[in-house]
Amino acid sequence: MKTIILTLALASAALAQAQIDRSKRPDAAAAPKINIPASQVFTTANGITVILSENHKIPKVSIEYSSGSSPKLLTDKAGLDDFTGELLMTGTQTRSKDQLDREIDFIGANLSAGGDGMYLNCLTKHLDKGLELMTDVLFNASFPESEIERLRKQNLSGLQSTKADAGQMAKNATKKVNFPGHPYGEVMTEESLKNITRADIIAHYKANFSPAGSYLVIVGDINRVQAEALVNRYFGAWQGAPAYNATLGKGQFDKGNRVIFVKKPGAVQSVVYVTFPIDIKTGDKNQLPLTVLNGILGGGGFGTRLMQNLREDKAFTYGCYSSLNITENGSWMSAGGNFKNAVTDSAITEILKEFSNIIAAAVTDEEMALTKNNMAGGFARSLESPQTMARFALNTIKYKLAPDYYQNYLQRLESITKEDILRMAQQYFTATNCHIIVVGNEEILPKLLPFDADGRIEKLDAFGNELKDIKPADIDAQTLINRYAMALTASKNTKELGKKVKALKSYVRVSELSNGQMPFALTSTDYFWAPTNEASKMEMPGMVLQKSYFDGKSGYNFSMQGGREDLSAEQLAAKMKASGFIPELGYMLNGMTFEIKGIETIDDKACYLLYTNDGTAESFDYYDAATYLKYKTISVRKEGEQTIETSITYDDYQNIDGYLFAQKYIINMGKMSFNAVVKSIQVNPKEVLPKDF
Amino acid sequence: MKKTLLIGLFLSSLTSWSQQKITYVAYDLPNGLHVILHEEHATPIVAVSVLYHVGSKNENPNRTGFAHFFEHLLFEGSANIGRGEYSELVEKNGGTLNANTSQDRTYYYEILPSNQTELGLWLESERMLHAKVDIKGIETQRSVVKEEKRQRVDNQPYGSFFTEIFKRVFINHPYNWAPIGSMEHLDAAQEEDYINFYKTFYVPSNATLSIAGDIDIDQTKKWIDQYFGSIPKGQAINLYRDFVSLSDDAFKARYQVDKSKFDAKNFLASSQPDAKKLIATYLAKPCSIERTQKDSSPIIGQIKDTIYDNIQLPGIFIGYKMPAQTHPDTYALEFLNEVLSGGSSSRINKEIVEKRELAQYAFSFNYGLEDAGIGIFAAIIPQEVALDTVLNAFDAQLARVKTELISEEEFQKVRNKFENDIASSNSSIAGIAENLADNHVYYGDASRVNTLLDNYLKVSREDILRVAKTYLNQDARVILYYLPKEK
Repeated sequence: MKTIILTLALASAALAQAQIDRSKRPDAAAAPKINIPASQVFTTANGITVILSENHKIPKVSIEYSSGSSPKLLTDKAGLDDFTGELLMTGTQTRSKDQLDREIDFIGANLSAGGDGMYLNCLTKHLDKGLELMTDVLFNASFPESEIERLRKQNLSGLQSTKADAGQMAKNATKKVNFPGHPYGEVMTEESLKNITRADIIAHYKANFSPAGSYLVIVGDINRVQAEALVNRYFGAWQGAPAYNATLGKGQFDKGNRVIFVKKPGAVQSVVYVTFPIDIKTGDKNQLPLTVLNGILGGGGFGTRLMQNLREDKAFTYGCYSSLNITENGSWMSAGGNFKNAVTDSAITEILKEFSNIIAAAVTDEEMALTKNNMAGGFARSLESPQTMARFALNTIKYKLAPDYYQNYLQRLESITKEDILRMAQQYFTATNCHIIVVGNEEILPKLLPFDADGRIEKLDAFGNELKDIKPADIDAQTLINRYAMALTASKNTKELGKKVKALKSYVRVSELSNGQMPFALTSTDYFWAPTNEASKMEMPGMVLQKSYFDGKSGYNFSMQGGREDLSAEQLAAKMKASGFIPELGYMLNGMTFEIKGIETIDDKACYLLYTNDGTAESFDYYDAATYLKYKTISVRKEGEQTIETSITYDDYQNIDGYLFAQKYIINMGKMSFNAVVKSIQVNPKEVLPKDF
Repeated sequence: MKKTLLIGLFLSSLTSWSQQKITYVAYDLPNGLHVILHEEHATPIVAVSVLYHVGSKNENPNRTGFAHFFEHLLFEGSANIGRGEYSELVEKNGGTLNANTSQDRTYYYEILPSNQTELGLWLESERMLHAKVDIKGIETQRSVVKEEKRQRVDNQPYGSFFTEIFKRVFINHPYNWAPIGSMEHLDAAQEEDYINFYKTFYVPSNATLSIAGDIDIDQTKKWIDQYFGSIPKGQAINLYRDFVSLSDDAFKARYQVDKSKFDAKNFLASSQPDAKKLIATYLAKPCSIERTQKDSSPIIGQIKDTIYDNIQLPGIFIGYKMPAQTHPDTYALEFLNEVLSGGSSSRINKEIVEKRELAQYAFSFNYGLEDAGIGIFAAIIPQEVALDTVLNAFDAQLARVKTELISEEEFQKVRNKFENDIASSNSSIAGIAENLADNHVYYGDASRVNTLLDNYLKVSREDILRVAKTYLNQDARVILYYLPKEK
């Protein structure tokens, strides 16, 4: 009887199986318990913090050393850190590169170095040998001259291929635009690479690779006793420079969207990044809610707003993602992807729209659930890798997180609300102060114009520097100067030029300067009298703001804030190099450094570029290749650590008594800009400098 | 004292070659689905994967790109899953998912918290039984795939080299075209073409379900019976799919039986005699897939071509035909490649990149496939170096490995390297699920994951010399010069 019942039960079970209701989605079983095995931490006498995460699943160990120093500004040696890292592996005091390579490969290990760290990964049974090699490199790198030159050559060639790699170009532009004057904004160029000397490399190595404040993360098939013994044996006697710690800036926060374009001829797709810096550091209490926000916008998977809109709905792209980068030295947000040329502008519109939507209104409950669950799952998945546990321990120490920061990760994640997310979006995101980076074909350029707040698209080269498209000049510098002088004096030949220059004894020019932010115009008056005297005055109604005076031998500057300051010997020397009605004519005699750089197209105008250096400033003068008249002057002056760039653009040249004077000019100083209109010009007036000057 | 202890510890393990064993359970369902289950509890996650034994080599030459296209299309949903919901269901339940397509296979997987194992099984069974193959999804994914091609091939410097080499190496085999396929073919294809592809290749007997992670094997088997055991066998699956997607008239016209005769709730259990008979007939009809043949025909002569691309530095790509990945010579060929191009101390790196500075990068690799393989030698070359200088430098390396045994030291090095790599290869449950499935499908033996190292350790230096002579034939190869397009 019992058996029959059993059979019946089995039969009905089989029937039930076949009739499974597929429209019903399976429920989750009870949530599994998540274990975060604790890492062990100990320190050494010479200042290394060691983090050990044991995991015996695979008979391998990895050891990562990271420097305790913060990134440094490398300016005209950008890339020195990476270059040093590359060179670390090219030989030690006792091992040539060939030997080193052979010994590493022989144990099947992976040993690599970067500008501020080293990484070893090998089978446990080869760990002793691995550490011997790792520490030999770490302590005794020799930087052979021949290897420096070989890798320099190889890097130069590699930099060439950057020009074909749209993704890399977009990354470079992003760095440069978000972080000017910050280590994150530095990109190796052909020039900066050429500037790096062996002494620089050794100095960087000595300063950065030191036990002081450094971290050693050990993961894998090794226990505490073994780890301590190995660390003492291999790292115990190491001594080095103290750790270097600088406070770095937060990046470039702008008003208004800026379109930054990098041209890639022949591109069938554009790479687009909408990006901006954000003011947050690792370990901030807002880091987790901000990460949830990014997850909803486009930070992960297929279900995000960006992905659903731009891929699944519009089919503009294979993938559109956003990324949130939070570090202790600078943070930024970025969203974008690859889009075919025809939809590049529409894609930008949609990305900006997603930013403004998420700032304007709270996200939905579904989105919150989706992203939180996704992140919780990601957290659980990440625990599979023993590297994760080590990273948790490292972050906890490095960023002074609460000891249970990761143990409580899921609870903290769960407690985040929609209101928190909206607050995050409003505090950190923007749709109107973005850097819109586009790498692509020039044909799309006109369609990008509407996105730029000031209507001027900035063009950068492959390395994120202002685009200089220079062709070789067909004339030399002196010929250019002569033609400019002839044009300026409306002369037909050099004889006439000589006469006219002599005939100009003096002039007075009065201009009116205005810009949108000022309620009144400024008046600027310039005086010149032969042979080399000049003065100027800038005033607002009823008040003189600035004056300058130079008589060929001495001079001064006066400003309302600073009072009168006599010109220094250095300033006087510089003045004398560029004096006279047409200073260029005297460059040769007066010892000015000058050089014709070529023909560059700026603002769609082909210009000869003349470079000068008077000892206090470098100037770049652009002369219209068609008329030889000066179109623009950019001068760059260093004051302490700062560089001050001033540019003047000339327009509307008119003939006044046989001499050409620009009637309009625009002055740019940093973020300030003035439009100048010439009100009067007197050539050879009765009185030049008024008595009451 | 501690020190001696430590050294002793290392010494004891120094001489042993070891590979960790992966345990698993494998069986077939009556409908032909092969199941592999690996249980481990280190992390509370599970990888659920299905490998369909269909790749670009199974495509109609006038409809290339279909296999890869399906990889996209089959995320569009099913009879019970709305558009765009597939990925959402995984992500909102804390999982991640993706898929990939090669010449030989299409592989789908989800990695989920282990309490969502049943969800993963349901999702994959929905895809296998009645995925949404309709015009709306086709249109969307067509555009997405076009963008993928632009991003991965057209806009990628040297991105076309794979396609260009395969095109020339495989003249009479469907490896001739790349998985990304032809956008014109995708445009030209009709909805019916897509449906037929699904019916032919997406059937349980052509699939392997591989699951690894924090599972209970008994419970998992029960779920598999429910979700996959209920998928009809043979051609009955396609009868059922037509029942779901065709109109009453169209169904009747095709099968001469009214749809109303079937039990919509429990299709296979339909009791009406005509329906029952039809189901029985189709259950008995096998799903047969025409398999491609192994291709061991040599390349005829030395084929040279020049490709102009959006690049700054010229490049050279050389392709040789290799045996299928299941061929016993594969192990020796992998060793040979390691000697030539594995790590900084490899011959190509030392000689061509470092000593002679003829290339920015130079490397070789083997790309093994089910019906044949390909060996590629490649270099990206500074402007001032002539391309043929690099070709000659590669040839000098080939001449060496074809005439001399590799050194004892190199031999030991490559053995150590493979021991290291094989130890790492099963470090994640996702990797284990995939390795088990691959080995079952291509080698007919999932347990090969546990004997891989032994296979490599059997290779001798003489074997390496022999395979170099056999396969690296300078008179039967493809040479592609990549040059910058004129601006």
